[in-house]
Amino acid sequence: MKLKNLLTLFLAVCLTLSLAACGAKTDAPADTSGGSAPSGSGDAPSGNEGDAVTLGMIGPLTGSLAVYGTHIEKGVQLAIKEINATGGVSLSDGAHPLAVETKDDQGDSTECVNAMNALISDGIQLVVGSATSGCTSAITSVANSEGTVMITPSGTADSLTTAMDYVFRTCFRDSFQGELAAQYAKDEGYTKVGIVYCSADTYSAGLRDAFTAACGDKGLEIVAEESVASMTEVDYTNQFNKMVSAGAELVFTPFYYDVMGPYLVPQARSVGFTGVLLGADGVDNTETTIPDGADLSVYNNVYFVNHYSTELASSGVSADFVASYEAEYGETPNNFDALAYDAVYVYKAAMEACGASDATSVQAALADTSAVYDTTCGTFSFDETGTPIKDGVLMGYAYHDGDAGVTKITVKAVSLS
Amino acid sequence: MKQNTYRRRYLINFAALLALFAAAVVIGMIGGSTVKLKLTPSIWQCSYLIIMAASLNLVLGFLGQLSLGHCGFMAVGAYAAALFSLALQRAGFYTEKAGPAFFLVLVGSILIAGLAAALLGLLVGIPALRLKGDYLAIITLGFGMIIVNIINNLPFCGQQGLGQGSASSALYATGLGFSNDEKMRYLWVSVLAVILCMTVMFLFVRSKYGRCIRAIRDNEIAASASGIHVSYYKVLTFTLSAFFAGITGALYACCNGALSTSSFAFTNGSILNSVFIVVMVVVGGMGSLTGSVIAAVVLFLLNYTIKNGGWVAALPAFLQNIFTYPMLVYSIALIIVILFRPRGIMGSREFALCDVPKWPGWIRTHFTSRADSAGKGADTHA
Repeated sequence: MKLKNLLTLFLAVCLTLSLAACGAKTDAPADTSGGSAPSGSGDAPSGNEGDAVTLGMIGPLTGSLAVYGTHIEKGVQLAIKEINATGGVSLSDGAHPLAVETKDDQGDSTECVNAMNALISDGIQLVVGSATSGCTSAITSVANSEGTVMITPSGTADSLTTAMDYVFRTCFRDSFQGELAAQYAKDEGYTKVGIVYCSADTYSAGLRDAFTAACGDKGLEIVAEESVASMTEVDYTNQFNKMVSAGAELVFTPFYYDVMGPYLVPQARSVGFTGVLLGADGVDNTETTIPDGADLSVYNNVYFVNHYSTELASSGVSADFVASYEAEYGETPNNFDALAYDAVYVYKAAMEACGASDATSVQAALADTSAVYDTTCGTFSFDETGTPIKDGVLMGYAYHDGDAGVTKITVKAVSLS
Repeated sequence: MKQNTYRRRYLINFAALLALFAAAVVIGMIGGSTVKLKLTPSIWQCSYLIIMAASLNLVLGFLGQLSLGHCGFMAVGAYAAALFSLALQRAGFYTEKAGPAFFLVLVGSILIAGLAAALLGLLVGIPALRLKGDYLAIITLGFGMIIVNIINNLPFCGQQGLGQGSASSALYATGLGFSNDEKMRYLWVSVLAVILCMTVMFLFVRSKYGRCIRAIRDNEIAASASGIHVSYYKVLTFTLSAFFAGITGALYACCNGALSTSSFAFTNGSILNSVFIVVMVVVGGMGSLTGSVIAAVVLFLLNYTIKNGGWVAALPAFLQNIFTYPMLVYSIALIIVILFRPRGIMGSREFALCDVPKWPGWIRTHFTSRADSAGKGADTHA
C-alpha cells in the first residue's frame, strides 16, 4: 500500500517536472533575450547593481491573457536592452543602466495588487503595467496612495487616468477611438451610419457613446442602432436586416475579433449589407478567427481603428523599433510590444528631463503637458489626465480572387481635425 | 469533573481568540512599510479565504452536499456591499474613510452583503437541495455562472458603480475600496469578522442543528426516520453558508479597490474561485472547521510566497520552472495530501489548544489505531 502510494507520487512528480520542462523550452527565447531581474542588471554596462534604476513590470504572464503579458514583457526588455547598450539613462548624477523586475498578475486583480505591493516594498518607484483595464484599475489607488508612478501600456478604460495623479498610459482611451471612427466616416463622405453594439459591455458601450456623440458634432445621421445581449453573441442577422432597411452606408461594430471573423462579418454580408463595417482595436487579429472554407470576399470593406501599424513606420523611432524587434525575436511586433516599448522610453525621457529617478520628480516631469515624446506611434504629449494626445491608424482587410487568404492592410493614419 | 474540563477548554480558547484580536489591533497600530505592504494585505486575503473555506465546509463537510458555485454568493455579497457603501458616499453620508459614520457604513455593508447572499442562498437552496449528488453539483455550478452573467449585465454594477457599463470590467472608486493605509487601520475589522464568523460556525455545528445535519450526511433515510426534517435542515445550512460567503464578499470588496466578476468565476488564474475553495475544504478535511482554516492559510501562503517570496529563487533552476506555473504546484500538494491523508489534513477532527500538551500521545494513538480515532469524530474535542 505504502509502496503504491510512493509510486503514484513519484509518477505525479515526473509528470509535473516534464510539464515544467516543456514550459521552459517554449519560454526559452524570452528568457535568454532579456532575462529576469538579476540577469538583466548583470548585463548592465556599469556592472554595479546599486547604480541601476529598476523598473517594475506587472502583466499576465500566465493564464488566459498570457499573450498580452508576454508581449508587454518583450517590449519592455527590448527597450531596456537598447537603452543599456547606448549608455543607459543620464541623470543629474551620471548615467545609470536600467533593469526590470517582472511580476505575474495572472490577469487577476487581487494578484495584481499583491504584485504591486511587493514591487513597492522592494523599493521600486516606476512601474509598467498592467495589461487590462480591470487589473490596472485595482492598482491605481495603490499607486496614488503610495506615490508610485505607473504607466499602463494597454489599459484603455476612460476612467483609469485622472488629473494630478501618478497613473499614465501610452495607449489612447476608449472614447477617443469612437471619435476617430466618426472622423473617418466623415472624411470618407458617409452621411448615414448605423451602430451594432453590446450595451452590457463597458468597451462596446463606451465606444458607442463616444461614436454617437462625435457623429452629432460632425453632422452624421445615425439611421439605426441595435444592441446585442453579450460580447460573445453568435447571431447578428436581425440587427443587420434593420441596418439594410434603414439604408446605413457604414455600420460601427465595436466588438472583439473572436466574433467578427466567424459570425458578424459573414452574417452582415449574407443579409445583403455591402457597406463598410468599422470597428475599433478589438477587431485586430480577426484574420485568425476566419473559419475554414468561408467566402473570403466578405471580409473586404472591413476596417478598424488601431493604435499602431508596422506599415506606417515612417518615423525613425518606429522603423528602428520594427527592425530591432524583428532582429531580436524573429517576429513582427504587435500593439502590446510597441506600447510597452514606448512606456519605457517615456520613463527614460521623463527621468532625463528631471535628472532624477524618484517617483515624485518623475511624476512631475510626466505631468508636464508640454513635454513631447517621440515614440513608435508617432510623437505625442500627455493631456492633463496622463493620456496621450495622438493619432490612430485605420487598418482593414482585403481579399482579391486568387489570393491565398485575407490580408491585413493599413489604410492611413487618422487624426481628429 | 467533565463540566470543569469543558469550562477550562472554553476559557483557554476564548483567551487565545482575545490574544489574536489584540495582536491584530497592535499590528494595525505599529505600522511600518513591511506591515503595510505585505503583512496587512495578506491578513485581509487570508481572512476572506478562511471564512470562505469554512462556510463551504458547512455544506460540503457537515451536510455532505457538493456545491460548486460558492463564489457566486461571494460575488453577490461583494457587489451588494460595494454598491451600498457607494450609494451612501454619493448621498453624502460620509466623505472620508474614517470616523463613526464610516464605521457604521462598514458594519452595515458587511451585514447587507451577508443578508443579500443568504436570501439568494435560500432561493437557490429550496429547489436545488431536492436534488442529490451530481445533479446538485451541476445546479450550483450553473448558479455560479448565472450570477456572474447577471451581474455583468446589470447597468448599475458598471464601471464607476451605479453607472452604465459592464461589471466584467471593474467597479472602481467604490466607497469600500481600502488603500493600504486604510487596510491597516481597519485590520482589526477583518480579524474580528473571522473570529465572530468562526465562533458562530463552531457553535452551529456543536448545536442540535449541527448534530442533525451530520446525521443527514451520514444517512439521510435514517435521519428522516428519526424525525429530522431533512429539507428544512438542508436549506438552513445552505442559507447560513451563503450568509458567511456574502460576508467574505464584503471583506473582498474592502480589500480590493476594484471588483470584476472574473474574480468569482468557476475557475480562473488565482486561488479565489469556486473550485479552489472546494480544494481548500478537501485538503483541510471535510468536517473540520479548523482544518479549513489551516488549509486556507497554507494555500494562501503557498500562492503568495511562490510569487512574492524569495525562496523560489533559491531553488535549483529546473525546479524553478515548475513554480512559473503555480497551478502545477497546487496539484502536487493536493496529490500528496490525498495520498497520505485521504481525509484531509485534519480529517474530521478539530484542532484544540488544550490538546497541545497531549500531542505526542495523540499522534501515537492516531497511527496505531487509525480507524478508531477517525471514528471518534469532531465532538470529542472542544
